[in-house]
Amino acid sequence: MRKPRQLGLAAFAAVAALVLAACGSGGGGSSTSSSSSGATTSTSYGAANTSVVNPSAKKGGTLTFGISNTPDSTDPGNTYYAFMWNFTRLYGESLVTYKSCPGACGNTIVPGLATSLGQVGDKGLTWTYHLRSGVKFSDGTPVTSQDVKYAVERTYAKSVLPNGPSYFQVLLTDPKYPGPYKDKTKDKMGLTSVTTPDATTIVFHLAKPFSDFNYVVAIPQTDPVPPSKDTGANYQLNPVSTGPYKFQSYQLNKTLTLVPNTNWNPADDTEAKQLASKIVVSMNVNANDIDNRLMANDLDIDLAGTGVQAAARAKILASPSLKQSSDDALSGFLWFYYLNTKVKPLNNLACRQAVEYAANKVNLQTAFGGPIAGGDIGSTVMPPNILGYQKFDLYEATTKPTGDVAKAKAALKTCGQPNGFSTNVAYRSDRPKEVAAAQALQQALSQVGIKVTLQGYLSGKYYTNFAGDPTYVHGHNLGISAGGWAADWPDGYGFLDEIANGNAIAPAGNTNIEELNDPAVNALFAKAANTSSVTAKNAIWAQIDHDMMSQATILPIVYAKSLLYRNPNVTNVYVDSYYGMYNYAVLGVK
Amino acid sequence: MITFIVRRLIAAIFLLVVVSLITFVIFFLVPRLAGQNSYQLATQYVGRNPTPSAVHAVEVKLGFNEPLYVQYGRFLKGIVLGAHYSNGPSTTFCPPPCFGYSFRTQQPVWPQMMSDAPVTVSIAAGAAVLWLIGGVSIGVLSALRRGSFFDRLSMGTALAGVSLPVFFTGLIALELFSYKWTLFPNVQYVAITSNPLLWARNLVLPWIVLAFLYAALYARLTRAGMLETMGEDYIRTARAKGLAERKVIVKHGLRAALTPIVTIFGLDLGLLLGGAILTEVTFSMQGLGNFTVQAIQNQDLPEIMGVTMLAAFFIVIANMLVDIVYAVVDPRVRY
Repeated sequence: MRKPRQLGLAAFAAVAALVLAACGSGGGGSSTSSSSSGATTSTSYGAANTSVVNPSAKKGGTLTFGISNTPDSTDPGNTYYAFMWNFTRLYGESLVTYKSCPGACGNTIVPGLATSLGQVGDKGLTWTYHLRSGVKFSDGTPVTSQDVKYAVERTYAKSVLPNGPSYFQVLLTDPKYPGPYKDKTKDKMGLTSVTTPDATTIVFHLAKPFSDFNYVVAIPQTDPVPPSKDTGANYQLNPVSTGPYKFQSYQLNKTLTLVPNTNWNPADDTEAKQLASKIVVSMNVNANDIDNRLMANDLDIDLAGTGVQAAARAKILASPSLKQSSDDALSGFLWFYYLNTKVKPLNNLACRQAVEYAANKVNLQTAFGGPIAGGDIGSTVMPPNILGYQKFDLYEATTKPTGDVAKAKAALKTCGQPNGFSTNVAYRSDRPKEVAAAQALQQALSQVGIKVTLQGYLSGKYYTNFAGDPTYVHGHNLGISAGGWAADWPDGYGFLDEIANGNAIAPAGNTNIEELNDPAVNALFAKAANTSSVTAKNAIWAQIDHDMMSQATILPIVYAKSLLYRNPNVTNVYVDSYYGMYNYAVLGVK
Repeated sequence: MITFIVRRLIAAIFLLVVVSLITFVIFFLVPRLAGQNSYQLATQYVGRNPTPSAVHAVEVKLGFNEPLYVQYGRFLKGIVLGAHYSNGPSTTFCPPPCFGYSFRTQQPVWPQMMSDAPVTVSIAAGAAVLWLIGGVSIGVLSALRRGSFFDRLSMGTALAGVSLPVFFTGLIALELFSYKWTLFPNVQYVAITSNPLLWARNLVLPWIVLAFLYAALYARLTRAGMLETMGEDYIRTARAKGLAERKVIVKHGLRAALTPIVTIFGLDLGLLLGGAILTEVTFSMQGLGNFTVQAIQNQDLPEIMGVTMLAAFFIVIANMLVDIVYAVVDPRVRY
């Protein structure tokens, strides 16, 4: 019977046409928006990298965030994600903070809760901060120096609050303090390396001079916590606020709602704003769903701040109206390969240099998403947004980005492997970009006779059991390991220490995977710790970077970039240089 | 029947213990056999660049340094008797069934699961109603109109339904009905107690997408069963006795064809109640399915144990209920 068949085909064609029309459209939502007052704001691609988009003091509205997973913790003392350090400024204020401004000035440390940056004494062994008077918690009680001390004490309770960094344990004089939950002193103020001579003064006593200490206290771990309100592992459910907002409700791993903190004084915190009437964070939202909701104006900001997914990226870059609401932001990450200095034959400098020359940096960049989604080809260890960065290129990464086979072969001759050698490459098998990059590296190195076998590992155990376990690395001939790194603070120490200092090598969770233990480099780190001059320190960081690259311990791939999308309804949007994403502390809605 | 139910409940408890043991072995023992030590395991649950003392503190807190049989025994004891946990300044009692505390959030697992369960139940129950009514009706009509245009169209559509995965139809549905035509904007779960209309509106797309897949199966199953049953001698006898056609179809034909439907329905619903993973992930709904995915991604062993036990419980109970309903539907079955 022909009629039913023709009708069936027609029906199928109609459905297919509908689907194709939907998929081929330039995306939903308006590309330029009107504010409630009727004024339009035109923006351009990348505008937020260097300027404030939609500047406005308008109050009101609901600012919505979405994220595809969950924070490690909403407790400012127990989180180690960049986006959370950014977000917690909405409900907490640390002793010092970063200046809220677009461009490189976002790397500048300025006073937060304290009246000034730390006053250094006792030959660099004491750092004193004076708190601004009149600052209150969200419940109206005054903030004292003891509340800041208690917050620092909490960072020692690793069995209860394991996520945050351990800088205080390493730098202060009382490393064996058991934490406030095992503190036997009457008022739980048993940490002897932090003293509070009066209600507005706090003094940190260091074991050794450390000139970067201001950066350490800029971490949210110094957001004050009133001891009587501390609920340990449950504090994340409702921390007491010193920021412009406070918790209204938090359904763990689902939805967090913030409302204005009526006890916050704008004069107390000039780097944050209180504009929206409500802030809502939806967690565990499918990543592609986040992008589609952003483009449909159903969501304001992707909290993770690591850029849109591949499908949305293609839509945005193909559509002029969507593209003008996006920014290609430097994220502060470097993607790279560690070249192990202990695994033969890469323990020979010339063999490592052969890898540097042979690698095809263009293909590696493509594997990471190309210039826009991946980033710019790197030639140094420190990315450009790190204080102390100096541009140099020892292995022609930017002048001959497809590789230099001749120089690679010459290096192989020098290291006694004229026909090449074999080694294994470790990478994270659940990260498509690293998979593609490993394949590109394998192909490039094979041109000069270096045979690499790819060894993929799941990212959850990559640092703990495999690439970050030196015994495993040696036993399995992992001469090359994929890595990615971002700084805890934007200077050379924050970026380089954990990946280059000899005393950072650990039996598990090791991040100095190349196992560089150079006395000269270690001495430079020690020298920088004792140097207060920023200019002098920057020169040291540049020297360390140069030493690492001249020893060919790192094969840089890209200075990572993220394509961020900003809902046109959001105000005061700009990329914060330190966090590598939009500054969440100043946003509002039209 | 009472004896049957008691016997099945006892067997269910035994089965759940076996499931817990197998799950424990897979997630706790196998990594050890693969060479992972307790220090390495603890490193996964501490922040970046931890000090050795920090890792050791977590190792002790989470009990990794204890023998495996002690860890398993503590887990079983928690389910039956509850357990005490320290959250820092105080100790709280986790009442039974206590599946322990999440390694990652340090919050009790059971309340988290119970908080996510309504989402899964809402998705599963709504879709189940749709696919049962829709699938069975279409199957019956197709069987009665065998060879007609309706029969071919419905079976062709059923083939599409079975072939297209949820993450495909779901994404198409979102693209068209949520982002482009904004008929269902901002699809996210809203509790029925907070806003019943919004609850239903936001679940329409997940219901239809999930029901589309299952209705297809049920339509084909019903059609096959009806075709077989309607060809039986007793159907011819019923018609010859002058019974109304509707009575012949429903009381005699459909009832006999329903027994495999009932069996499959119980299994399908039981499986879905343990977490409609693909649907929940596609529509970003934080139910037990999403909970399972995150537990596995985070290697959060107490959460993995908890959700596995809960899913097994649903399947065991569903199987038992199916057997009971079987006896009601088919008078020949007696326990």
